[in-house]
Amino acid sequence: MTATVSDNKATAGQATDHRSGKYLAFHLGNEEFGIQVMKVREIMGVQDITAVPHTPHHTKGVINLRGKVIPVIDLRVKFGLEEVPYTQRTCIIVVQVKGDHASTLQMGIVVDGVSEVLNLTAADVEDTPDFGTGVETRGLLGMAKLKGKVKILLDIDHVLTAHDLTSLQEALR
Amino acid sequence: MRREWEARIDSVAAQFVLGEAATVAPAAEALAWMRQEAGREGWEEIARLAARIAERMASSPQWHTEGALAEGLDKLRRAVEAATAGDAPAAGKPPNELAQDPGLVGDFILETREHLISIENDLLTLDREPSQPEALHSIFRSFHTVKGLAGFLEFDAVRSLAHEVETILDLARNQQLAITATVIDVVLESADYLKQEMNRLEAGLAGAAAGEAAAVDALIVRVQSLNRTSVAAPQPVLAAPPEAVTDAVTGTATEAVTGAVPEAAPAAAPATPEPSPAAPGAQPPAAAPAAVQASAEKFSVRVDTQKLDHLLDMVGEMVIAQSMVRQDPELAGLRSPRVTRNLTQLSRVTDEVQKTAMAMRMMPVGQLFHRVARLVRDLSRKMNKPAGLELSGEDTQIDKTIVEELADPMMHMVRNSLDHGIEPVAARLAAGKSESARISLRATHQAGHILIEIEDDGRGLDRDKILAKARGRGLVGEGHTPSDNEVYNLIFEPGFSTAAAVTDVSGRGVGMDVVRRQVAKLRGRIDIHSEPGKGTVFQLKLPLTLAIIDGLVVGVGGERYIVPIFAVQEMFRPTPGMLSSVKGQGEMAMVRNRLLPVVRLHNRFSVTPRTQEASESLFVVAETGGRRFCLMVDEFIGKQEVVIKSLGEGMKNIPGVAGGAILGDGRVGLILDLEGVYGEHTLA
Repeated sequence: MTATVSDNKATAGQATDHRSGKYLAFHLGNEEFGIQVMKVREIMGVQDITAVPHTPHHTKGVINLRGKVIPVIDLRVKFGLEEVPYTQRTCIIVVQVKGDHASTLQMGIVVDGVSEVLNLTAADVEDTPDFGTGVETRGLLGMAKLKGKVKILLDIDHVLTAHDLTSLQEALR
Repeated sequence: MRREWEARIDSVAAQFVLGEAATVAPAAEALAWMRQEAGREGWEEIARLAARIAERMASSPQWHTEGALAEGLDKLRRAVEAATAGDAPAAGKPPNELAQDPGLVGDFILETREHLISIENDLLTLDREPSQPEALHSIFRSFHTVKGLAGFLEFDAVRSLAHEVETILDLARNQQLAITATVIDVVLESADYLKQEMNRLEAGLAGAAAGEAAAVDALIVRVQSLNRTSVAAPQPVLAAPPEAVTDAVTGTATEAVTGAVPEAAPAAAPATPEPSPAAPGAQPPAAAPAAVQASAEKFSVRVDTQKLDHLLDMVGEMVIAQSMVRQDPELAGLRSPRVTRNLTQLSRVTDEVQKTAMAMRMMPVGQLFHRVARLVRDLSRKMNKPAGLELSGEDTQIDKTIVEELADPMMHMVRNSLDHGIEPVAARLAAGKSESARISLRATHQAGHILIEIEDDGRGLDRDKILAKARGRGLVGEGHTPSDNEVYNLIFEPGFSTAAAVTDVSGRGVGMDVVRRQVAKLRGRIDIHSEPGKGTVFQLKLPLTLAIIDGLVVGVGGERYIVPIFAVQEMFRPTPGMLSSVKGQGEMAMVRNRLLPVVRLHNRFSVTPRTQEASESLFVVAETGGRRFCLMVDEFIGKQEVVIKSLGEGMKNIPGVAGGAILGDGRVGLILDLEGVYGEHTLA
């Protein structure tokens, strides 16, 4: 149940828009999301997660990724959606994000399920509409309209910065 | 034009730097070109120098270790610079691109540091046994290499200092200069300067504003002054050819002796670098033993620590995978002797691989000891207490991190021994002891730990004085008579010092406090044995590695935690009679007639336990920071050696959690930081 997709580097031309290219599509409830394939290291089935005390609620804990201990975030909780029990389809997507001081770190994100890899052209991507106040749009790259459905493209570095984790941790103390 | 010349000279210089691996051919070719070119330009001086060097290289098989040749090359370089000054850009020399290359500079710093370590060791050997040609040669070679590298990267201050020191050492090699304590002092000082310079360059690499190189001129003058005294001293006279004296490139007397070779008439040339005929026959042929030693040295590879850690991770995973296969019920059901045999072989191999991988992080403790040797030498001089240092077990292997972290505590302890332990000479003689004190450092392996002992033959710890001081500060209550061990441990209290006066060596009561904290951080312990009038022994017991921890695996609800075994005193199932509560909140348990606070781990970590009932749970009595408490957990699962892993960025400094570890089934267990677990309790 473990598949490595890191080889599928986005090869599509980036000349037109830095947002065009390959995206991994996944869903949380009714909402469809996409993250850049380049950021994805691997996809694994949900496994035993070791809870870590004194961490924000959306941090589910840590897992063993081939000898490395990496944190796992539940994206549903992070986005304020209702928590659901994990099923057969629930996946952990291991992503590589930017950490402090130009380092990179790996993290797992729990999603309801992965569907496909999308190849988006610049024409498919639209800017995130302005929702006015109350909707956080900083973690969003834009929206993709595909076959009549809207997919939300995430800027995963922004969504999961370590900075966010540490600041919450400090707030808890 | 000038560039071309420089390139040729560098290619010759590179051959010098290569040392044993050098070959004559490329250098000879470059020199031939220079001679021809200089002849065409009409630069007689340069043509003559080039010819002389080429000749010398062809005639001596050991040419690459000859300082004089390298120096001749320097002279050639300067002459060329002077001759080509016309076509150099007006703004001075172009910025050196090599010195901007962080990779090259990084390698230079690393290599120079290695040389500095060996220089210091050899100098201390030389200090004890001045007639040690091997040590002297080795120092010479190290300075020579540093000089070559610095020249290559154009770190002029480093190059010129190394050059002067090399000149001195060359004199000593040729028995024209006696190795006195002054000489060793100055050379040590030069090594210190180079050390500082390396730190500065490193800071520059790290992006910090690299300051200017510290002033080196004064030091160079001091090095040179050694040289002048040597010429004046009644040494085997070496007739400096008049030609060399008039050849005033730098104009110092130094040049007359060592710089003579390249300029001197060919007839005089063999005089200097080889054992001069006037020198006593006692000098062994220099090059032969050096070569033997070099070939006997172990080859080593520098590896990025990240790669090493990755390897360790993977090996850990392999061991887990291996044990999962071995314990697979389906395979066990086969009852096949062949499978069993092969699996046994597999586990033997994986064990071996794991051991080897772990050993890669280890290094001999000797490097640490040698640093102490330097300190003993400096301090014993400064305090006028002659002291000899005995080392044993220098080859004992220990984790690299521990060696680094241990440097400070060792310094403090040795300083303490010299300052407080060892009596002044008069007192020693009065007590019937030898004038020179003895300090010994020993390292041994002992049951999965390393034991480092620091022993002095001084006056021993003064129990009464320490106790009086402690009573004065209220650390020990009146009427309480502590054991010897308790008294001795008082010297580790912050700010505790029995010294009447604060000196720049010790007496502020900071050092020993640092020792205890650092040793505790390394998960080690420290014991003191002392006998009045006979001396004191500090015993440090440390784990072999910081990467692995011996742990008790305990369970709370569905979670598993690892309690570091060194902190565990005992484990038991409490009976209701042992328990009491304070104001209905704080729980206490009576354990061996001591009331200990109870910490419920499930409350600390907000997990749902199997049972809330203390009498159905398990108590682990743990000690941390001198305090004991009972940790309440659901069950005891087993004892396991685990590899400590960081939880990653963003999960550092979680109170109560020291890290993570992969358990036998591949899951992650959290390693408890008992101080944090307990500390929180006191806050709550």
